[in-house]
Amino acid sequence: MATRDTTSPGLVSRVLNSLEFRMLGLALLLAVALSLLSPYFLTQRNLFNIMDQSVVIGIVAVGMTFVILTGGIDLSVGAVFGLTGIALALLLRDFPIAVAIPLAVAMGGVVGLFSGVLIAVFGLAPFVVTLGVMAIGRSLSFILSGQRSLSGLPADLQNIVYSSFLGIPANVLFLIALYALAWAYLTYTKGGRTIYAVGSNVEAARAAGLSTTFYSILPYVVSGALSAVAVTFSLAQIMSADPLAGNQLELDAIAAVVIGGASLYGGRGTIIGTLMGVLIMVMIRNGLNLMGVSPFWQGSAIGSIIILALLAERLINWRSTRR
Amino acid sequence: MTHQDIETRAAPLLSARGVSKTFGSTKALVDANLDLRPGEITGLLGANGAGKSTLSRIISGHIAPSGGTLTLGGAPFAISSTRDAFHHGIALVAQETSLAPDMSVLENIFLPDLARPGRLSFARLRDRALEILSSLGHEHALPLNAEVRSLSAAQRQLVEIAKALALDARLVIFDEPTASLSPTEVDSLFDIMARLRDDGRALAFVSHRLEEVFAITDRVTILREGTTVAQDLPTADLNQGDIIRHMVGKDIGAIYDARRAGHALSDAPVFEVRNLKAEPWVRDISFSVRGGEILGLGGLVGAGRSEAAEAIFGLRARQGGEIFVNGAPVNPRRPAEAIRLGLGLVAEDRRAQNIVPDLSVRENLMLAQMGLHRGFGRGFGAVKARMDRLIEQLGLPANRLDTSLLNYSGGMQQKIIIARWLLVDPRILILDEPTKGVDIGTRSSIYKLLQEVADAGVAVIVISSDFEELLGVCERIVVVSDGFTIADLPKSLLSEEKLTLLAAPRTSTERNTAVLRDLSHSFGGQAFWTLIDGDELICLACVTHTGGPETGLAAGQAIRAEDTAIPAALATRSDAFTADGAVTTLLTQLRDKRGHDLGWIGLSVPGNAPPCVKDVTARVAHLSRPEKET
Repeated sequence: MATRDTTSPGLVSRVLNSLEFRMLGLALLLAVALSLLSPYFLTQRNLFNIMDQSVVIGIVAVGMTFVILTGGIDLSVGAVFGLTGIALALLLRDFPIAVAIPLAVAMGGVVGLFSGVLIAVFGLAPFVVTLGVMAIGRSLSFILSGQRSLSGLPADLQNIVYSSFLGIPANVLFLIALYALAWAYLTYTKGGRTIYAVGSNVEAARAAGLSTTFYSILPYVVSGALSAVAVTFSLAQIMSADPLAGNQLELDAIAAVVIGGASLYGGRGTIIGTLMGVLIMVMIRNGLNLMGVSPFWQGSAIGSIIILALLAERLINWRSTRR
Repeated sequence: MTHQDIETRAAPLLSARGVSKTFGSTKALVDANLDLRPGEITGLLGANGAGKSTLSRIISGHIAPSGGTLTLGGAPFAISSTRDAFHHGIALVAQETSLAPDMSVLENIFLPDLARPGRLSFARLRDRALEILSSLGHEHALPLNAEVRSLSAAQRQLVEIAKALALDARLVIFDEPTASLSPTEVDSLFDIMARLRDDGRALAFVSHRLEEVFAITDRVTILREGTTVAQDLPTADLNQGDIIRHMVGKDIGAIYDARRAGHALSDAPVFEVRNLKAEPWVRDISFSVRGGEILGLGGLVGAGRSEAAEAIFGLRARQGGEIFVNGAPVNPRRPAEAIRLGLGLVAEDRRAQNIVPDLSVRENLMLAQMGLHRGFGRGFGAVKARMDRLIEQLGLPANRLDTSLLNYSGGMQQKIIIARWLLVDPRILILDEPTKGVDIGTRSSIYKLLQEVADAGVAVIVISSDFEELLGVCERIVVVSDGFTIADLPKSLLSEEKLTLLAAPRTSTERNTAVLRDLSHSFGGQAFWTLIDGDELICLACVTHTGGPETGLAAGQAIRAEDTAIPAALATRSDAFTADGAVTTLLTQLRDKRGHDLGWIGLSVPGNAPPCVKDVTARVAHLSRPEKET
């Protein structure tokens, strides 16, 4: 019973031992390797590309991090991405941009609320609920769009991507701000800590008087709303809405969160880790593209990395529990 | 063998000598000895945590012993799995049954057979199952095709027993088999056990229900703190007091400081619970506690104390009862509401109900505060000064607050959880088994802390199955048994033995109370059920008809014979009515079928015209179990 009370580790060793630091090391290692393999990798143009490609998956991965921290999973993000994209395109026909975007984001939030209530209040399994919502969402986006891409979006929409500040594109700036905000929320607020507590030990959290039901639902709302935000940036770049958009986006988002060190059992993981996970995923895909690897092989590469990341987490856990 | 005096008992089928078992740094068994002989039922007794279940699980192959020897039929044997145990003819009928709920009764009975290679003939299995059930006298009691999920607790147990017999078990261990059975089901279980014994099987009966031990066992072996302190005592030579002395058998150490005199109690109760009901565990629990008081809620594991605390705290649905804080009725439905009413609960299972492992020590410490905080942030700033003071008071390492709580010892973890509640200034603090898994040094500092908390005017409620602890810490103890409050007694009237007696679940309580009601109603007096130990009485139940006489006895209260209104009757205990002034009283002793003392049923009626003795004894007679053996 009585475990040894070890002395407090210093700040430096805590940082060096932290998961985010290891992930950062992995990301840098990967960057060095890719730059050796492909001369184009380290060009300014390609680095901007990587950041640009990180925006959509990065935004969705924030919501997924919230959900996974509670011990849940959200398989519906890709379908919500597609559905709210179609909805946004339709809304833009009748409403100005400043109204249409909030409406689309709210719609994503409502879909998340639906899943969250079924999961937290009725106790249904997150996997099954969001699987159902995924099927419904995709089906509705085909029906709403009439099975075709919607184009003819207002030209002003491009501003949210192609304006820049200090040379940094707006969508990348938004991503950075979102991660800073999410990090502060998860680290320093009652809500953020409750989300961790729900995933770590929901019974203890409830007994301590935390609002466990509310904070079990909130992550799904955030995830749904952020899927809609992500599709907004995507529409602004492509200037058309496809009912099939965001297909398998949920897999990429889950992969990024898991590679970032979060535990699918909940309670463990950080937003910085997720950012690293996103960058690693995008860099690998980018590097494979630069090297001319067939896209059919890229799935194998990403899949192997997910499995290796999970294996690493398990091995680290074993080591820390064996002591 | 020709002489009658010569020991005619069979040689032990199983002998355990010097068996020990350690879990981590906890010693569950130190030096356990046990003999189980064919044709005998041996009671394996001990207080909570004495190691009864550990020993039975070792014998049945569920866990491996750390030391000691086991012999089966004279030959040393080692088992490493339950399958080995089956192979040797050893079966465990456990409290939590080990059945597969989604499979049929038939499949469950022959579950171990399913692991054998080759084809199964279900027709033949069915015939054998019927044969086994009829040998138990229950051939129609079980539908063989029913899913086990749909069976009652008693039926499941029958399946377990049939499963043991399907393996032709020579040795069957019953671990707390009666915990979820009704009195008639218990009788029928005992019939089955007697049949198995008469077939020449060796049986062990693990229980802390003393009545049942007397009813069914031939011998008893008693464990205390993992060591056998009495072995193979013939049950017929024992009384409840002897067994309890063996089970308890030590003095309260110096880890309990006497509480400083002069602490003030509030005049009115700060917290009161009336007729709390939360099925199936909590049936009727009432108690009240004053500010500055430390109240003990005592009873055995499973008596419904923890469940009562959870029901009060909104962690469990209540079906009835009233809760008052400072005299005002309240109805907390969620822990958050209970906390706002000034309640705090240190739940029983530290790892499952209190610790959030992925949060730091600091955040675990602040968890209740964070729940109470209404703002957006964590609300740490508001209590910073108080937290620093608590950290110093409790001796928590201030430089390690950002590490994981799991790296701390059990005692330190418990202090942090208690501190979590002290930070939110509760008016009522409930602690469920506060020293479970806590080393002895930290225990005394936790007791000291509880006294300081109470001195500050908080109403403290300590739930414990460690009666020594309750007597050491609490001023007053409410005893809970089978979901009912049985007694509410000041510490001065109690001893560990009396507490054990009171807390022992009595399958007969409901039946006896019904008879008391009948007696008092029919004869217009007061009927009571009491244990008599010298000149000390502990009244277990009492029913008074309107206008009936006052004997001074009250349910759950201890009293000396000379302080009652009926000292003469209590002194004589003859089989006729005895007059004490204006009251006449008849006392009838309750005995089980083996003649053991289950206490006395008394009837006091006013005036000098008592009813016919036979009328009374006839109504009491059927309480003693009907003879089934010759």
